[in-house]
Amino acid sequence: MVERPSILQLRQVTKQFGALTAVDHIDLDVAEGEFFTIVGPSGSGKTTLLRMLAGMESPSAGDILLKGRRINDVPANQRPTCMVFQSLALFPHRSVGQNIEFALKIRGVSPEERRARALFLMRQLRLPEDYYAKSVTKCSGGERQRVALARALAYDPQILFFDEPLSAIDYKLRKTLEKELKDIHRETGKTFMYITHSLEEAMVMSDRIGVMRGGRLVQVGTPHQIYTSPRDKFVSEFMGEVNLIEVRRGANGRVSAAAPAGEFSAPVLPAGFEHGHLVVRPEFMRFLGAAGEAENHLVGRLYNEYALGSRIQYQVRVGEHVFVLERLRQQPFAGHLDQEVLIGWDARDSILVGD
Amino acid sequence: MGAAGPRWSNALIVAWTAAVVLFLYIPSISGLLASLGASRYFNFPIAKWGLDWWGKTFAESEIRTLLSTSATIALIVTAISVAIAFFGALAFARYDWKGRSIYQKLVLLPIFFPQSVLGLALLLWFTALGIETSWQTAVFAHLIWVVPVATLVISIQVYGFDPALEEAAYDLGATRWQVLKEVTLPVLWPGLFSGALFAFLLSWGNFPLSLFTTGADQTVPEWMYAKMVAGYTPRVPVLGTVSTLGAAILLLGGYGLILLVRRARGGAN
Repeated sequence: MVERPSILQLRQVTKQFGALTAVDHIDLDVAEGEFFTIVGPSGSGKTTLLRMLAGMESPSAGDILLKGRRINDVPANQRPTCMVFQSLALFPHRSVGQNIEFALKIRGVSPEERRARALFLMRQLRLPEDYYAKSVTKCSGGERQRVALARALAYDPQILFFDEPLSAIDYKLRKTLEKELKDIHRETGKTFMYITHSLEEAMVMSDRIGVMRGGRLVQVGTPHQIYTSPRDKFVSEFMGEVNLIEVRRGANGRVSAAAPAGEFSAPVLPAGFEHGHLVVRPEFMRFLGAAGEAENHLVGRLYNEYALGSRIQYQVRVGEHVFVLERLRQQPFAGHLDQEVLIGWDARDSILVGD
Repeated sequence: MGAAGPRWSNALIVAWTAAVVLFLYIPSISGLLASLGASRYFNFPIAKWGLDWWGKTFAESEIRTLLSTSATIALIVTAISVAIAFFGALAFARYDWKGRSIYQKLVLLPIFFPQSVLGLALLLWFTALGIETSWQTAVFAHLIWVVPVATLVISIQVYGFDPALEEAAYDLGATRWQVLKEVTLPVLWPGLFSGALFAFLLSWGNFPLSLFTTGADQTVPEWMYAKMVAGYTPRVPVLGTVSTLGAAILLLGGYGLILLVRRARGGAN
């Protein structure tokens, strides 16, 4: 990715509600034109953080800089940023066109110019022209999303914020809208800052992802970086189903585990590593014909299998410990339930995370 | 059992509902009938029908004064109570603040005070403070009882109001005043309208508070009561019917207006 100048800079941004620290000393630079997503479970402080950036809350400490200018005390209606709300917050007493034109009307733009701008945005967002006079309460879920986005774009913001606008949409439509949103990001070239609790959603759209937990940014990186080298157990689990083995430092650069008991080859142990988790993604865990086929192996029992569309997932139990393996649908594992199986993985396919 | 069950229960439901409606409307219908007789006193069955008393009632200047006093009080009460209740309802249902739960209870309590006691208490206070009672003091008395009701009615609409609407408008560059004018008021309009209707009708029909606080002025309910205690005239059922029909027209008209606006805005609100 080409280095672009920062549009938004957060310096030790903190928000306290009484004794609760919702956002805890966050430092972050968002590049101009970037699609940046903050992911975190509910209560991680991501919504509070976004509301501070949009001007609906003010930080208890720290600075927010927009193009180098401190905007801590600039109210939302004077910030060149705009938010798409979780509830979308479309004005129910207004038509599609009036909703989109709201910001322009406030600015005193002439009706003809407003209409032209609204129709342009409707075309860009694939809303039929005759929707202009349609009531927003009569639009479908996907159409309402587009109206909300058009309304925000009409404001011509330097940054667009998104507060989980797709969370209430059914799976299939959500997948379509995620891609549409990424296309719109490309077409407009604007900076998008999105929050969601779904890392899967974040992966599809984002240039970079920040994972939040307990008011802190745990890790910031490209989707690839977050996926292949999660910083800790929390991030690795957030990414989807993974195999986790609790380990401590063993002899000869290996790690040792209590359950399942054994010594395993691991990636290079970081200096000072004492205790942590070995993470193996289901697609890197394999069924073995013989123990020597992989650097690490375990003997288990095939407990169940699940069809996941293009892949099949197998559940293997090693004692009480559950492992999941995934194979392509075209290459199913020829075994029967309760059969004894040999599973394994190579050190380079595993990730070692600290506590 | 079998097929006869549901038919019997349906018939019972219809009969029961009809009985309840009849029970509720017998007094109003009796009033209407009483106003349509031509004789000085009400006899049933009515020997001679006629609208004579309707004509006589509205020809009298005393009655026109009554109507105008009642209407003045009700209109002023409506205007003031909707203004107070709108902001009260926002505090009641929209914002989360410390003490809100106590406020919600305190605000509604006056509805349950016996009105005659409230009226008497106010009269004692007015006297003690040397304020001469008139229709103006009645406005004050009505407000004490009407504001809580209007607050409750408007709150119902406010509860369904998504606070993000205001934030969105503000975020799109609107000032606080523009947010109120462009979003809050238009979205809450049906609730404000219902609140205003309630306020007007409750004030118009109020007797116990007016009795103690109007002083030398007289409202329609006070006059009707006085005439029924001494000196009955068929003008009483005429005015009673006018009040009832007026209320019905206002309520149905208001309901129709809200429906029309909803339809124009397109469906669910």
